[in-house]
Amino acid sequence: MIARGRNPSLSIGISIVVAIVLLAITGPIFFRTDPLAIDLANTLAAPSRAHPFGCDALGRDVLARVLWGARLSLSISVVVVTASLLVGSAIGGAAALAGSRIDNLVMRGVDIVLAFPGILLAIALAAILGPGLVDLAIALTAMGWTGYARIVRGELLTLREREYVLAAETLGATRSRLLIRHLMPAVAGPLAVQATFGVGGIIGAEAALSFLGLGALPPTPSWGNMLDAGRAFLLVAPHLTTAPGLAIGLSILGFNLLGDGIAQKIGHRA
Amino acid sequence: MVRMRKHTARICWLASIVAAASLVALPGCDDSGASHSPGTIQVDLENSPPSTDPRFGTDATSSRVNELIFDSLVKADGNGQFANYLAESVERPSETEIVFHLRHGVRFSDGRELTARDVMYTYDSILAPESLSPKRSSLEELKSIAAPDDYTIVMTTEHPYAPALELATEGIIPYGTPLPSKGLTPAPPGSGPFRMARYTRDESAVLVRNPYYPYPDTAPKTMFFKVVPDPTVRALELAEGVCDFSGNNIEYDVLPWIAAHKDLAVSKTPGTTYRYLAFNFHDPRLRDVRVRRAIAYSIDRATIVNSMLHGTARIATGLLSPESWAYTSNVTDYTYNPDEARRLLDEAGYPAGANGRRALKFEFKTTPEGARVGEVFQAMLQRVGIALTIRTLDFATYYADIQAGKFDLTSLQWVGINDPNHYYMVFDSKKVPPGLNRGFYSNPAMDRLVEAGMRTLESAERAKIYAQVQQLAAEDLPYVSLWWVDNVAVMNRRLAGFDAYPNGSLRSLATLTLTNPRTAAPQ
Amino acid sequence: MIEYLARRLLALVPVALGVATLTFAIIHLVPGDPVVAMLGESAAPADVVAMRHQMGLDRPLLGQYGSYLGGLAVGDLGESTSYRRPVAQLIVERFPATIELAAAGMLVAILIAFPLGIIAGSNPGGAGDLGAMGFAIIGISVPHIYLGPLLMILFSLDLRWLPLTGRDGFAHLILPALTLGTALAAILARMLRQSLIRVRESDYMRTARSKGLSERAALIRHGLRNALTSVVTIIGLQMGALLSGTLITEMIFSWPGLGRLLIGAIGARDYPLVEGCVLTFAMTYVVVNMATDLVYAAIDPRVRIS
Repeated sequence: MIARGRNPSLSIGISIVVAIVLLAITGPIFFRTDPLAIDLANTLAAPSRAHPFGCDALGRDVLARVLWGARLSLSISVVVVTASLLVGSAIGGAAALAGSRIDNLVMRGVDIVLAFPGILLAIALAAILGPGLVDLAIALTAMGWTGYARIVRGELLTLREREYVLAAETLGATRSRLLIRHLMPAVAGPLAVQATFGVGGIIGAEAALSFLGLGALPPTPSWGNMLDAGRAFLLVAPHLTTAPGLAIGLSILGFNLLGDGIAQKIGHRA
Repeated sequence: MVRMRKHTARICWLASIVAAASLVALPGCDDSGASHSPGTIQVDLENSPPSTDPRFGTDATSSRVNELIFDSLVKADGNGQFANYLAESVERPSETEIVFHLRHGVRFSDGRELTARDVMYTYDSILAPESLSPKRSSLEELKSIAAPDDYTIVMTTEHPYAPALELATEGIIPYGTPLPSKGLTPAPPGSGPFRMARYTRDESAVLVRNPYYPYPDTAPKTMFFKVVPDPTVRALELAEGVCDFSGNNIEYDVLPWIAAHKDLAVSKTPGTTYRYLAFNFHDPRLRDVRVRRAIAYSIDRATIVNSMLHGTARIATGLLSPESWAYTSNVTDYTYNPDEARRLLDEAGYPAGANGRRALKFEFKTTPEGARVGEVFQAMLQRVGIALTIRTLDFATYYADIQAGKFDLTSLQWVGINDPNHYYMVFDSKKVPPGLNRGFYSNPAMDRLVEAGMRTLESAERAKIYAQVQQLAAEDLPYVSLWWVDNVAVMNRRLAGFDAYPNGSLRSLATLTLTNPRTAAPQ
Repeated sequence: MIEYLARRLLALVPVALGVATLTFAIIHLVPGDPVVAMLGESAAPADVVAMRHQMGLDRPLLGQYGSYLGGLAVGDLGESTSYRRPVAQLIVERFPATIELAAAGMLVAILIAFPLGIIAGSNPGGAGDLGAMGFAIIGISVPHIYLGPLLMILFSLDLRWLPLTGRDGFAHLILPALTLGTALAAILARMLRQSLIRVRESDYMRTARSKGLSERAALIRHGLRNALTSVVTIIGLQMGALLSGTLITEMIFSWPGLGRLLIGAIGARDYPLVEGCVLTFAMTYVVVNMATDLVYAAIDPRVRIS
């Protein structure tokens, strides 16, 4: 998909992501309704002036919960992606620099982690570690570091053979320092793409785990556990499903488009 | 290129055949052949009955299903009276003896006649220590049981035992029925209106008529109990005529939607089912009555009942509902009063920090269905500074934990309380797990009262004693009384003549009149 | 081909061993005591000791690992603490339902992706293309946990065309398969579109046109054939998402498969069953990956040589 000139994915993606981030940060400041305040007289209330997205089964305002859920999803995703990036880069870099035997071992390790389909590893870890946000973050990081490891390792291995590295070496520069100096620009692009898609992916994974009861616990609002709670009321209160569902879908859409856009942009340059 | 073409074509064919085959080779419907015939009614259950052996099923679902299969010597009617079933007549020759004369010609569904030998076997097997039957504890007062002849049973108690007839409410199984073992247990034959034709755990239970139990032609011949954990599906199945009856398992919020259907009738009657909040007295913080009272004052029951439950309950003052002959309303009242709650907590030594929080944290165990009420408690307790974390478990795990007394706080209900002696079962300090005193409550004053209530045969005297019991229970709060649940039954209008028992029993389904054959095929 | 098969099978062994070991590690090397988690904190010390002994947890770790591997070799995955039945038996009972759902999801994905991809690829930039790709990007972004209930609201509750939950006949398979397959359909559609565009501008097309074939026929005949390899690649890459998607979809639709068994086991703190289910999912994925490689090798002989 080589678009000439314009990069619609990038522009739409940036717009959506910026909008979501802004909403997450400023939303709860402007819309001050307490997401935890129960109001039993208003259980399952349909959307109205006072409650733009209606109320949930305990009379809590759904819009407030969606906004706070945005904060949770975004912060967890950023934390997890950052951790995965750091851990993955460290492991991948170490593997590439350490010599082929260790490299092979590490790559076997990556293969084994990747042998667990999708979020299965995160589910297994969350099952053992127990529900809760910290454990959730650990579980998701354990699942997500491999992509970054591969990128860093791949770039480092390629760089090793590049001419200017060999040339610089003959001039006396130490290999490791050289590689790292030349690594950054080479690896920034692919890492950025991976991280962007990663945020979208972690938003989805966190929602799924919370949906299964392995992530955020009540009464903390998470889009995932809101969807789970809404299932019992599909018949009489579908708005409980629509609000968090659209929120997740839009967020992932935004990050996917952004990732697409960035990929196109660097694809151009290379 | 040619080779690739052949390969790709072959692969495509293979793939489509595999895909098609996997779809065609679907398992058929779980055999609902029985439920397609006329004279079948479908009842949807929230969860699978954990036990199909009446010696072991103490939970509500098991009891309700087993009630249709097994009969007992006498049955409680929910208002403190007993009706004769297998017993034709009952005598009390002395304060410690009851004599039951069995009816002749009662047959189990396999044709054998029910005689005293079967009654003896049932009781002996429950009482045997190796059976690990949870019903053993409720038969403690039974000193001996004897069968002087084939149609007579004599029960003797060590001391005068006022609720002695309660001992005679065990479902009778045939002589020689083995104890349930690992894996699947087919239900033993019973002498009740139905027998278990097929039981698939977590899916369904099919009950067909006991050929030796007389019934009117217009009554249902087959009962198809389907396990439908999803409340939306239960509501849909009722609306579509697939499910004919649902007892006490429709979400309150869905009731208005259901009631709007022209084919469905909703019946709401006051019930004796008692919903409570239980404390674990192993926890030193909960042993302080001020903490318990504070928790009681911080729960706004009126709002919960009127708003969340849509008025389908009555605020409870104690275990016994007004339907009971021993009921008294003259007990301490815990109308919502968060200020009083905070004062009590301060007094108990748990001052509130700057953000209103206190150093009090408890875990509330619940099933997924109970999580919503749990969250309400969580929010209400948080207002007075107590932190409640909610631990949700599937029903079987949850119930096993509760029976063993593994919880901080939990909310449950007592279904089918008949005699006030239930107080002895749940509050006497000797009745800790495996008994029903799951919170390990221990109060010598309570022990004295409930034991006296058990031994006093004269009703007026008993009433006075139980008045004191109710007052003590309200003062000392082994439980916080929440509400008495109304019996809400939703049924298809083709079912006529359903009698709602206050204890939510489904027994009257056996004698319903089906006014027209089902119009929708059950699924 | 046989040699390739043998090589791949051999390569399977260390990965399988690694997966089994990692599963063992997760379950056994957790912080906290699983027995206490199972019996509760107020459990009598004697009970805890007894349970630990019963589960073999008081033996040295290496010993446990050894019997774990030994058990795996003969198909013994231990006994479920909540069902009181062999784990292997429970898994075998539920596995077909999961495979059925996964296969149906894949079929739905292919059925949706092909027409969409062809519409998009035969007229790039046109209305069909924009519509199809719009659907695709949305399909990738909507999570199962929303799509499932959305389809339920639409088709089960509003229109009453399809049943809501459970597994009881063909109609029950439709919504879960749609939920599961939509994301994969979107990805496949994009891939097909790309392939078709490439083919359009390639030599094949010029040859075909010069032969007199209609644009559409040529495109389909040559384009699809060449797209096949890419399709297999994508399916292979997405198998992981499909399998873990099955897990979530089973929960949404109360589909009695392995995923629901696993989540139930987690809730019941039934660690032997959790271990068995996780292992089964991972191994299935490993085997499916190998199968995809084989299919790939069958289509493209060049792969076998590398």
